[in-house]
Amino acid sequence: MVRLPYTTALTTLFSYGLLFAFGQLRDFFRQLIDWFKANDVKGYAPICLGLEDFYVRRLYMRIQDCFGRPIASAPDSWFDVVERYSNGSDKTLKLTSNTSRCLNLGSYNYLGFAAADEYCTPLVIESLKKYSSSTCSVRVDGGTTKLHTELEELVARFVGKPSSIIFGMGYATNSTIIPCLVGRGGLIISDSLNHNSIVNGARGSGATIRVFQHNSPAHLEEVLREQIAGGQPRTHRPWKKIVVIVEGIYSMEGELCKLPEIIAVCKKYKAYTYLDEAHSIGAVGQSGRGVCELLGVDPADVDIMMGTFTKSFGSCGGYIAASKEIIQHLKLSCPAHLYATSMSPPAVQQVISAIKVILGEDGSNRGAQKLVRIRENSNFFRSELTKMGFEVLGDNDSPIMPIMLYNPAKIPAFSRECLRQKVAIVTVAFPATPLLLARVRICISASHTREDLINALDVSAFVLCRIFFYSHTRKGILILIVPIFVIIHSGYQQSW
Amino acid sequence: MGRRGASYYVEAPPPVDVNKNTEWFMYPGVWTTYILLLFFAWLLVLSVSGCSPGTAWTVVNLSHFAITYHFFHWKKGTPFAADDQGIYNRLTWWEQIDNGQQLTRNRKFLTVVPVVLYLITSHLTDYKQPMLFFNTITVVVLVVAKLPNMHKVRIFGINADI
Repeated sequence: MVRLPYTTALTTLFSYGLLFAFGQLRDFFRQLIDWFKANDVKGYAPICLGLEDFYVRRLYMRIQDCFGRPIASAPDSWFDVVERYSNGSDKTLKLTSNTSRCLNLGSYNYLGFAAADEYCTPLVIESLKKYSSSTCSVRVDGGTTKLHTELEELVARFVGKPSSIIFGMGYATNSTIIPCLVGRGGLIISDSLNHNSIVNGARGSGATIRVFQHNSPAHLEEVLREQIAGGQPRTHRPWKKIVVIVEGIYSMEGELCKLPEIIAVCKKYKAYTYLDEAHSIGAVGQSGRGVCELLGVDPADVDIMMGTFTKSFGSCGGYIAASKEIIQHLKLSCPAHLYATSMSPPAVQQVISAIKVILGEDGSNRGAQKLVRIRENSNFFRSELTKMGFEVLGDNDSPIMPIMLYNPAKIPAFSRECLRQKVAIVTVAFPATPLLLARVRICISASHTREDLINALDVSAFVLCRIFFYSHTRKGILILIVPIFVIIHSGYQQSW
Repeated sequence: MGRRGASYYVEAPPPVDVNKNTEWFMYPGVWTTYILLLFFAWLLVLSVSGCSPGTAWTVVNLSHFAITYHFFHWKKGTPFAADDQGIYNRLTWWEQIDNGQQLTRNRKFLTVVPVVLYLITSHLTDYKQPMLFFNTITVVVLVVAKLPNMHKVRIFGINADI
């Protein structure tokens, strides 16, 4: 359910309309001025047609300094952000050699493995010396080391499936695996808010794609019934297979998937399930095993479980965990396994050590402490923000909390003001989120201390006063009433 | 569409539209914003020039024609070519909304707006001649462009492909 104040919807649409109008005006004058310039690429087609790059040129470039900020240290709970300046109203940004130490609320550092860890880092350095930084080969040629096989067994054991396969890049995991699982004549039903990697993989597979309303098992059932009854488009033959793709925690909403109900619907209609646990593996659940543990779903009920090592394990890459037959098939057909360089050995060692810490197999209870800390931090921060009056999305226990901004002007205002106060946050707008629902996405980490969080809350309160000077509702009425007064008054004096 | 009022929240099921260019039109508040924009444009024209209300409505009607024709029925594709790989490059915005389904509530609303504008304008100008002619052309062109039979039709090849 999308929930927002009505006047906020009106003012946000008006703001976007204004930005759009100014962008079009600028484009129009640019075209006029460039009419008389000589064109030295005669005969070649233009790189961009008409409106194609309008959004990037006229909306994104204006607030470019809020995105892509370079950092100069490990993304721990505090890190160094490189300062940039611009001479030409944000069209180009130049790096300076100054950095400012900011509180990190943007990295996916859920369990605090992003910085040097007392157990993981020595082992990683040792593996760097022994196996070097790259295997310089593909998995099937010479790129499978002992570490790779150890990690695959460990991941399978951790997640609760018979076997697993790992890849060097999380995005590539989704976009290369899905075409291997479904092809022409198959049906992919994916949640409307799925990540771009899943969308790309689905488009590349050649299967028919249908989308169901976000997190709505009832709508999923409706779509399944309609599609099974109708069959393939035009021929109406039965579908070769149906795969339903959902995510564990949706990274833009911070909310958990309704996994038990969705699995029940899929079992009823004999559809396969694919669960993308990029943000939930290692971060939720009693022992960190993800959404299945948290919601009480048996991993055997989910056909394919996917995850990434980037978020909770402080490394890079992704994995797929499934039955032995599926993994064997993937090992023989997936291009990311057959042609892509294998995962870097120190990165593999980092994941192995991180999983051992989480499971407690390193001999200490730091893993359990981290899991408790991240849960406590998330719940504390979320409740404090809600008390302050912010509109925070997401379920309890979820380390991701989006704060709604709605209005496009608030995005750079919030971002820049927070940076001035030495808090680094990530803002997200259209097209990654729906047009009206721009937000700030805060990611809590187990390495944040209570003081860090209280500091962040103080800064948020300060920014609340500065930026959100009026609440949404009062500002909404002002925007509507003041111009009416002005115009009617001047209209009176002129002609009425 | 949701209750008006400052402190009332409006709830809507999130629309299932993968086309980012048209998805925003399915959220609450769009119809009201459109009507309010027209109303304020009229007030603006009225207060800036000293003309009669009817002439102001004519100006609003003609500029509404120019703007909506250009953006709904002339410009093709989306502002995010990289994201959607150019699937919609041959479709105008009107052909993209609601996933190409005809006669949805949004489409009916957008078809009615030029007609209502025409009625208001002709009434306030007392159906006098130069204005009536232009307003009639406006409403005929806009309504014909929005008919379901005109889906993907390019008359005489005008504005056909890239």
